[in-house]
Amino acid sequence: MSRTASADRKERVAGTGQPVPAIAMSAVHKAFGDRVALHGLTLEVGAGEVFGFLGPNGAGKTTAMKILLGLVRPTGGEALVFGRPPSDPAARRRLGYLPEHFRFQEWATGVELLDFHGRLSGLGRAERAERIPEVLERVGLTGRGGERVRRYSKGMTQRLGLALAILHRPDLVLLDEPTSALDPVGRRDVRELVRELAADGVTVFLNSHLLTEVEAVCERVAIVNQGRMVASGRLDDLADGVTQLRILLDRVDRDLLALVARHGDVARVEGTAVTLAVATLDVAPDLAAAVVGAGYRLYGLVPVQRSLEDVFVDLVGEVHEQ
Amino acid sequence: MNLLVVARWTVLEARRRRLLLAGVVLSIAFVVVFALAFSLLYHSQERNLLGAQAGDSGPVSPREQLLVLSTILVVLGLYGVQFLAALLGLFLGVASVSPEVDSGALHAVLARPISRLDYLLGRFLALAGMLTVYVVVMSGSLLLTARVVAGYEAGDATRAVGLMILEVLVLLAVSVLGSSVLPTLTNGVIMLALFGLAWLGGIVGFIGSIPPGNELLANLGTAVGLLLPADAVWRGASYHVLPSGLLIASSVAGGADLELPFGSTTPIAPALLAWAVAYPTLCLGLAVACFRRRDL
Repeated sequence: MSRTASADRKERVAGTGQPVPAIAMSAVHKAFGDRVALHGLTLEVGAGEVFGFLGPNGAGKTTAMKILLGLVRPTGGEALVFGRPPSDPAARRRLGYLPEHFRFQEWATGVELLDFHGRLSGLGRAERAERIPEVLERVGLTGRGGERVRRYSKGMTQRLGLALAILHRPDLVLLDEPTSALDPVGRRDVRELVRELAADGVTVFLNSHLLTEVEAVCERVAIVNQGRMVASGRLDDLADGVTQLRILLDRVDRDLLALVARHGDVARVEGTAVTLAVATLDVAPDLAAAVVGAGYRLYGLVPVQRSLEDVFVDLVGEVHEQ
Repeated sequence: MNLLVVARWTVLEARRRRLLLAGVVLSIAFVVVFALAFSLLYHSQERNLLGAQAGDSGPVSPREQLLVLSTILVVLGLYGVQFLAALLGLFLGVASVSPEVDSGALHAVLARPISRLDYLLGRFLALAGMLTVYVVVMSGSLLLTARVVAGYEAGDATRAVGLMILEVLVLLAVSVLGSSVLPTLTNGVIMLALFGLAWLGGIVGFIGSIPPGNELLANLGTAVGLLLPADAVWRGASYHVLPSGLLIASSVAGGADLELPFGSTTPIAPALLAWAVAYPTLCLGLAVACFRRRDL
């Protein structure tokens, strides 16, 4: 796949020299009747970024994505893709989209479907003839394009959906749960595809609740819950925001908890293990001395690498408890 | 042009779903059955009447009786054609948008750089085109059969067929409107009920017009005809199916000789015709306005 270099793809906002963000959502609000799906979502994704949009089921991820595609109209705020409202077909010309349920016209063959979408995206006959076999090969469907979509397995249909999403060489690809129907090999293929797109300077906006997928490919993430943004930032920053120490002891009692609480916040107690959130790992030697000095037997004192899942569960769990 | 891309896709869908094949096979069967029934009935009646001619000839000549028989058969045959075409128009319209909204197959399509106006019009034009061909071929075959077998000449075949097409377009447009705002099943039920109501309205209006006449019933029929100008337009079409000779004979006999419960011996009122022509455009305009605002 040959593409223009990423530097060429970044436009500048006239007069300011600022690059135009691929996605800019400001205070986007969406209500379906009484139910509010998005409460003032503000979000910016730069051109060429791989952005993970996380949240539990029903958090508003798909609604936000549909607003970016012009399928759903926000009830408040503004959403722009490459500086244009998504209701403008010219803005959508640069988008590729894999829907969550990847349902397509089942009576058509894969090639017919790609041809239809290619025409709608303004690809000429020669371009379609070149591009259709190319994307089929890219998603691992070579030789299956002539079959009716009805005969495809779920995994094949999702692969076809990915082919449709990248068919017209879009500048921004929105993937809604792109690996939900795929086996481990298929998931790895999708990760590779996302990395290739990123290398070509394509912006990728990935909706997922599969955190390992997101960790593997995304640079920045936002976590939404119940229509609100609860965290956003670089993946490293989010995961490293809080450091934890896991203390393994012979026994845990009230005195011990009071003792360790002087060095940090007790996050969890599991049996005779205490997880302590600390400001810095430098407290570890003092903590060890204090515990041993008070007569407890210390079996281990381990810094805990927090995964995205820990951050996610903490944040989403907190909101649920409110 | 995106509108044509969608229209082409819609025709491909009809082919792939074997709709076109089924339509062609069933149409041929319909025409063959009509041709057989028509020629058998016509010829046996011809033998009876012309054989008895020597004896007793009543106030109506045997030729005129044969003409009345042909007219009733042709009107009934075309009534069947318009009924099938009307149902086809309703079903195709009901299935035009909402099933793909319900399944989610439309999401990927409308995320492309295509306006919802182009999408709806592309769907409508393709379906309207296929239905028009259906009506022209079917009614043309029936009229041709009657001409060959009985030398039957409709008063104005072009107008009759034109009005039948208009009726089908009215039904297609109203069901496309329903399909772009309602779920499939709901729309299907409503459209079938409306179609039945329009038919009933036609019958009510017909009863109201039987001398001495009932103004209330006639007005009720007209009101229903305005709500969905389908049956009313068919009645207008059926007037042009009648041979001009028959109309003259009928008017000489005071108009009471010929009563067609499923047709009409008077032309469509110009105001109703204007309304029926505007109706599909209004339905489509409303469909586009609603569909544009709809969250998918």
